[in-house]
Amino acid sequence: GFEVHKKSYIFGSPNIQTFVDVMTQQGISSIKVEDTGSGSIIHLPNDETLIQVDGDSTHIICEGDESIRVKIRDSLIKCLKRL
Amino acid sequence: LVMKGNKLQLIDPAHAFRELGLEEHHLRFTCTVSIDEEGPVTQTVDKIYQLTKSKLKNYPVQYSNDGSITVSESVLIKVSGDEESKDILVSWSYQDEELGSYLLQILRTSLTT
Repeated sequence: GFEVHKKSYIFGSPNIQTFVDVMTQQGISSIKVEDTGSGSIIHLPNDETLIQVDGDSTHIICEGDESIRVKIRDSLIKCLKRL
Repeated sequence: LVMKGNKLQLIDPAHAFRELGLEEHHLRFTCTVSIDEEGPVTQTVDKIYQLTKSKLKNYPVQYSNDGSITVSESVLIKVSGDEESKDILVSWSYQDEELGSYLLQILRTSLTT
């Protein structure tokens, strides 16, 4: 069966430039950022992924590999406070 | 667990963040699994429902009127497509990260191989 080992919580809003820099360090190439006024849409054309960041919420829409999703997740978490 | 004055109090995390003047970050993932499966969409939904229930015995798995499946608090599964192929959308919040990623992996391995 399946069991959850731990739950963690994140808070705050990420700095978009820092988030992009961390993703680049993780080896993600081709990152396109579009300002939407209230937030940003980050497009990773090589990885079939779209990230919508709007203040205190982020939606990661990933059509590609699980390893890419995990890299994006960890990059974002590095830019947030964690408990 | 939060200390207020000289008292310890057990409160939920979202409440604790607000007490500390912090806003919780809402992170959500949406991933798609594409499969070549013949038959009606409802048949695929039923198969996923049975599979999910068998793998997650300790979690509430619910079949909604709109044909989607919800698991626990935030995991949502939706199937679209035609008679030839289907797209299975799996979405979950960071608080259900272990559950969501596990379910995505189960669906990928069980339905695409």
